[in-house]
Amino acid sequence: MINFDEEIEKFQPSLEIEQAEDVITNNDLTDMTDILKELLKGNKDNQ
Amino acid sequence: MICPNCGSNMSEKRKRCERCGVDLTIYKKVIRISNYNYNSGLAKAKVRDLSGAIIALRRSLDFNKKNTNARNLLGLIYYEMGEVVAALSEWVISRHIQPLDNDADEYINKVQSNPTKLDVLNQAIKRYNTALKYAKQGSDDLAIIQLKKVVSLNTHFIRAYQLLVLLHMKTGENEKAKKYLFKVGKIDVSNTLTLRYMQELESPAGKDINANPEAEQQSSITNTIIPISSYKEDKPNIMAFVNLVIGVIIGIAVTAILIIPTVKKNNPSDDNSSYTDNASAVAQLEEKDNEISTLNSEKSELKDQITKLQAQIDNTVVPDTSAYETLLSVMNLYLTELSKPESERDYKEIADTLTTIDDSQFSDTSLSLLATLRATTYPSIAEQHYETGHNLYSDGKYEEALVELSKALLLDPQDVDAVYFSARAYDRLGDKKNAITYYNKVISDFPNSKRVAEATDKLALIQ
Repeated sequence: MINFDEEIEKFQPSLEIEQAEDVITNNDLTDMTDILKELLKGNKDNQ
Repeated sequence: MICPNCGSNMSEKRKRCERCGVDLTIYKKVIRISNYNYNSGLAKAKVRDLSGAIIALRRSLDFNKKNTNARNLLGLIYYEMGEVVAALSEWVISRHIQPLDNDADEYINKVQSNPTKLDVLNQAIKRYNTALKYAKQGSDDLAIIQLKKVVSLNTHFIRAYQLLVLLHMKTGENEKAKKYLFKVGKIDVSNTLTLRYMQELESPAGKDINANPEAEQQSSITNTIIPISSYKEDKPNIMAFVNLVIGVIIGIAVTAILIIPTVKKNNPSDDNSSYTDNASAVAQLEEKDNEISTLNSEKSELKDQITKLQAQIDNTVVPDTSAYETLLSVMNLYLTELSKPESERDYKEIADTLTTIDDSQFSDTSLSLLATLRATTYPSIAEQHYETGHNLYSDGKYEEALVELSKALLLDPQDVDAVYFSARAYDRLGDKKNAITYYNKVISDFPNSKRVAEATDKLALIQ
């Protein structure tokens, strides 16, 4: 059974075109390769 | 392949970087997992499982943010779902990561080349945000109006559709909600939220969820308790048959009352005008009777005529064509003889044939022809027969002489010598009767002949 008020709260505003720049700038692009790099770097420093 | 540690190019087959010596086994696995997820996302996108594709592509980018194919495809899917800003963001990042030979360039250019459409899409986003605000404030009607406008501006805006569905469900307009859900289902077949709303609408509990929760709860309870009825065998429905019979009777009655009188009225044979003048009908009948009696009398007269004519036909002697053939053959013989010199002509055969012809079978013209032929041929041949008969008589051949003499008399009955010698031949043969007859014929028929005296003397001798 749906609780409509809760359900509506789940909806988020859509990004407008004016906000695109902020989105791109603040986008977290960290991926697994970055983590690997960090790991490799950490190992190197330890050595 | 680029080494994540030092950034140098290296062979795909190498497990360690040739420059910095870092072990790249895990890095290669990470790249492989990213590609695997990209392939999975691509497969899902091809069957319009957009939600599933987004999950797979996001995972692919989590493993390798430089997987531009995955990022470009993710942007396309966002665009298809009406999330224009998200799509542009992915494509811009993709172009930043791979500035050259990137499909994202084409996508961005296409979107930017049509600023009107971009503005429309942006307007749709703004209206959606406004509608969401109204919905959160409880102004459902205003929100629905705004969202309807949004979905008309951007027909692929899934989030707007879903909010519209939710509001319709809230106001109890489930059919409208279903209609929008079907539209969303065509864009994204496996959207979790869409499926959840659909399930809610399809379930009995979801139908009256807003109207009266207590009643809904009660109805769900009653729905779960189904009374078990005792088994009853189906009986033939007699009422159906009775209704059929009644229908047929009504049909017949309608036909008898409405149709048959109309048909009778339209039938010219039943027109009353035919019965109006009985006197004229009687007069016509009498006239017909008179005609019949007249015709009967004419018939009897004609029968009598037929009888008479038949009798005439029966009495009429049809000329024998064979007689004419004989006549023609005689004529032919005659013409043949005429073609000969006169001294060589012999009419004996012609004369003999002419004696056999029955004159009654010929017309007057034919008879005159016969008379001519006989007049031409008979005298000479009669003389020949007489001479022959006389010679035979002289030789004592009385019987042969009688044959020739009778032929001579046949051809020339006025030959008194032939008559006389016939009497003499009979006399010599002892046939007194015929002798007397012929002697008397000489005396009576040829009184002026010199043979009369001789015949008288001979007659006296034998009497």
